[in-house]
Amino acid sequence: MLHSSTVENYLKAIYAGVASLPPGQRLVPMGQLASAVGVAPGTATTMVKTLADSGLVEYEPYAGVALTAAGQKLAALVLRRHRLIELFLVRMMGYSWDEVHDEAEQLEHAVSERLIDRIDEMLGRPETDPHGDPIPNAEGLVKQQDSQTLLTCPLDRIVIVTRVIDQDRDFLRFIEQHHLKPGEAIEVEARDAAADSVRVRGRNDQRITIGTRAASKLLVHVARALLLLLLAWPAFAQTAPSQPRPTQRTSLSGYMDFHYNNPEFGDATVDFHRFVLLVTHSFSDRIRFVGELEVEHALVEGLEEKGELELEQAYVDFLLTRGFNVRAGMMLMPLGIINERHEPPVYYGVERPFIDTVVIPSTWFEAGAGVHGEVGRGWRYRAFVTAPLDASEFSADEGIREGRQQGAEANVSSAAVTGRFEYVGVRGLTLGASGWSGRSGFQFRPRFNVPVSIAEADARFSRRGLELRGQFAQVWIDNAGLLNDALALRAGVNPNIARAIRGFSLESGQRVISNARLGEVGAFLRYENFDTQFRMPSGYVPLREFDRDAWVIGANYWPDPDVAIKMDYSIVGSQSSVVRAPNSFNVGLGWWF
Amino acid sequence: MKTMLRAIGVMVGGGAMAATMASRVASAADQDTQVVEITAERFSFTPSEIRVKAGSRVEIRLRSEDTAHGFRIKGTDIDVELAKRGRGVKTITFEPQTGRYTFECSQLCGAGHEFMRGVIIAE
Repeated sequence: MLHSSTVENYLKAIYAGVASLPPGQRLVPMGQLASAVGVAPGTATTMVKTLADSGLVEYEPYAGVALTAAGQKLAALVLRRHRLIELFLVRMMGYSWDEVHDEAEQLEHAVSERLIDRIDEMLGRPETDPHGDPIPNAEGLVKQQDSQTLLTCPLDRIVIVTRVIDQDRDFLRFIEQHHLKPGEAIEVEARDAAADSVRVRGRNDQRITIGTRAASKLLVHVARALLLLLLAWPAFAQTAPSQPRPTQRTSLSGYMDFHYNNPEFGDATVDFHRFVLLVTHSFSDRIRFVGELEVEHALVEGLEEKGELELEQAYVDFLLTRGFNVRAGMMLMPLGIINERHEPPVYYGVERPFIDTVVIPSTWFEAGAGVHGEVGRGWRYRAFVTAPLDASEFSADEGIREGRQQGAEANVSSAAVTGRFEYVGVRGLTLGASGWSGRSGFQFRPRFNVPVSIAEADARFSRRGLELRGQFAQVWIDNAGLLNDALALRAGVNPNIARAIRGFSLESGQRVISNARLGEVGAFLRYENFDTQFRMPSGYVPLREFDRDAWVIGANYWPDPDVAIKMDYSIVGSQSSVVRAPNSFNVGLGWWF
Repeated sequence: MKTMLRAIGVMVGGGAMAATMASRVASAADQDTQVVEITAERFSFTPSEIRVKAGSRVEIRLRSEDTAHGFRIKGTDIDVELAKRGRGVKTITFEPQTGRYTFECSQLCGAGHEFMRGVIIAE
């Protein structure tokens, strides 16, 4: 049955009127309806009575009017025609979004359902029109939207504009001019109740302050994690190709570490231990790359046991929000203090602490992906999925160190998980806890499971030249007995690998001289206790030589906060009365830029 | 063994005292001005979330614990350089309206430079 355009306009106006009613109210006042259709109240009442006789509306004198189910479906189908026509005019005929409403007002009463269905099909059965208004389906049903306005959405979160509920031409032009159309990713930075304004950060970090009335007409929804990731991707980053990209930049930094070591039972050596170059690049404000290439021991030559060339870091960060970011590539494992933070000027001592060598095998890097962020007053987290350790390379004296796959065609028949929580909310204090867990027996045939777990806790405090550090770490290697048997079959020698490795360290340092012109001098004392055979599998006896401790005493001189000249004496002891660990005198020069 | 335990005791005791001192975070001054101290260190600002009163005058005292850093409050004209450790404190004033202001390091300071960020929440 065809209805006149007047009937359809009344039904449409009642439909819109009902949608704008406050909760608990179901009847549209006659005055409101008359105003919406542009007639006198008496005229509207006469028409409504006619519609009520047709079964399209429910009319209550002196109260108002509501749609019946039949009237509601009819009104929804008018809106369906209107909104599909608007979209068709924009997409297929090149109209701008601010000029289609008037055209659609005319055409919505003229087109047949058959034509509308063809348009719907041609447009790919869209769910919204150019303004973000939902398009009812052929049954007159509308998909509900869960949206908020710019007045109610969370601050400082990326939200996606979903709908503009005022189709005034000037307003739509304003919205377009400031890149606030549906689909744009924006953030509400501030709301000022006194000034009735809302500050919005939009495309390319552009900020605009709009009134609360305008803000109430923009509906948004909070972007979900996956959508945020897509938004960070260049194809979705809403930067027009013709516009400059001022946020793109590449920078170079690095650090170096040069040592003189004089051990008790050997000859002194000089070693350019580390030469590290870091390249960072910002593709955009939200996509950043960090790469770190390291040459260890200066010389990399053929198959000889000389230096190493390592790609320690090469990852891309998708910076989404302060609390949630995504990282993928070659990453440092977030374990302990030193593994992620080992530039020479930031720690005392020429060599890294033993616990960060034989218990936590720093520098430990693997390929993988994960998330990181900061919430509240200094609560940070990192959680990554990476390649596991290779248990076939574990040993008695170096523990799990040689099991690192380091992203070199790493076997990922099973994945490892690692993570770290940190609290940095008090000035100078960092409290951290980290863990790692993975299956590491993939090299053996038949395969058997060698689960490895690491737990670590650390604290660092620095204030007025005082620096205190403490760290504890333990490694558990399950099925270590089976692992020893399998390796003994392969190599002919039982490697005597432990089922638990443990270590802790305590360090106190104090800058005793601090002069802006001459530099700073600090002295330190560190005690470490570490045992790579802390617990042995059943039937194995631990070798006492691997139960070691160390006192390291020394000083740093910083002519500049980024350059450190270091000197220390390391006294290493073991529980063995036969095998003595060598003491050593060490000097180092390190810098960071 | 006794010496070792004594040394551990001194270290742990020193740490506990220092932590107690650190808990007294300075953020108060006269009635009209709120004072906030921020420390920059590769690659973080501490504190990284600061709550202030909207419309009030906020004095921010910035200090580096290592190399030179920058301090920029996005959406404002504030962008200053922080000298290296031991070479002075930079003080700026800021009168925020209600809202969240992201701040970041604006001077390249190493590989983690891009992640030195924080937020000032004016309420």
